Amino acid sequence: MTKGDKILVLFIVLLSFLSFAYINRYAFSDQEKFISVQVNGEEIKKILFDQQLVGHTIPVETEFGYNLIEIGDGQVRVIEADCPDKIDVKQGYISRIGETIVCLPNKLVVEIKGESGEDDIDIMNY
Amino acid sequence: MRKTNKMIFISLLVSVGLALSVIESAIPLPIAMPGARLGLSNMVVLVTLVVFGFKDGIKVGMLKSTVLMLITGSVSSFIYSISGAILSCVLMHIAYRYFSRIFSLIGVSIVGAAAHNFAQVSVAVMMLSNTRIYSYLPFLLLVSLFSGYFVGLSSTYIVENLKKNFRVLFSRQETI
Repeated sequence: MTKGDKILVLFIVLLSFLSFAYINRYAFSDQEKFISVQVNGEEIKKILFDQQLVGHTIPVETEFGYNLIEIGDGQVRVIEADCPDKIDVKQGYISRIGETIVCLPNKLVVEIKGESGEDDIDIMNY
Repeated sequence: MRKTNKMIFISLLVSVGLALSVIESAIPLPIAMPGARLGLSNMVVLVTLVVFGFKDGIKVGMLKSTVLMLITGSVSSFIYSISGAILSCVLMHIAYRYFSRIFSLIGVSIVGAAAHNFAQVSVAVMMLSNTRIYSYLPFLLLVSLFSGYFVGLSSTYIVENLKKNFRVLFSRQETI
């Protein structure tokens, strides 16, 4: 183990502790809810609210139909749909945990779920 | 050393790496963290880098991930593992080739382990389109220090042993 190795180890330890402190302070301090997009009962997308995502649109195109979801500041709505009655578009924004937008013809459910925390890591598959 | 010899040696290295990966998945870790691995097969890539150079190192790394996908059958872990293999191989090569005066093999291996984790987390961020996964990186980096250290230590012994007993590998490297 040379001097350079020790400096490298020290550098990585410092880096990880600093970034851990930074993350603890800033990243998990705001609301802990996320958007869950389900088609035919299966969750196909999971989106955490983020300032950068405000105004972002997400097309959901499946064999059942087409919907366009728009993310707002802590809220979400469906702005386009190819279903006949467009109930989901008329419903407007949802923002509270447990609220849902359902588009029955397209088998689409947009739900706001809570207690995300570190849940998002659990999807990683090795 | 002839071309055939080299090819055989490289395929042996790949199969050793595969065996290590399979065995490694059977060893329980004291900490429950998804994504944290011992990285034993990194040893093989490191040794190849030292003995044969960059081209063959990256070849072994990529072959290993590809064949491991065929064994385990999980495509998503293949995407993680091949991105990690490529980035860690490139960075280990740079560290070994240009900074070997500063770093021993242990340092090189730690660089590789950290790069591997970084690439994996980055791929996870891209695949799940969620930058918060980066918050997981500090933990993985800390764990990678330990695995990187021991992988580097064992690689030092392996390379020493190869230098002693397989001189043919080192004797006429330039002619290949």
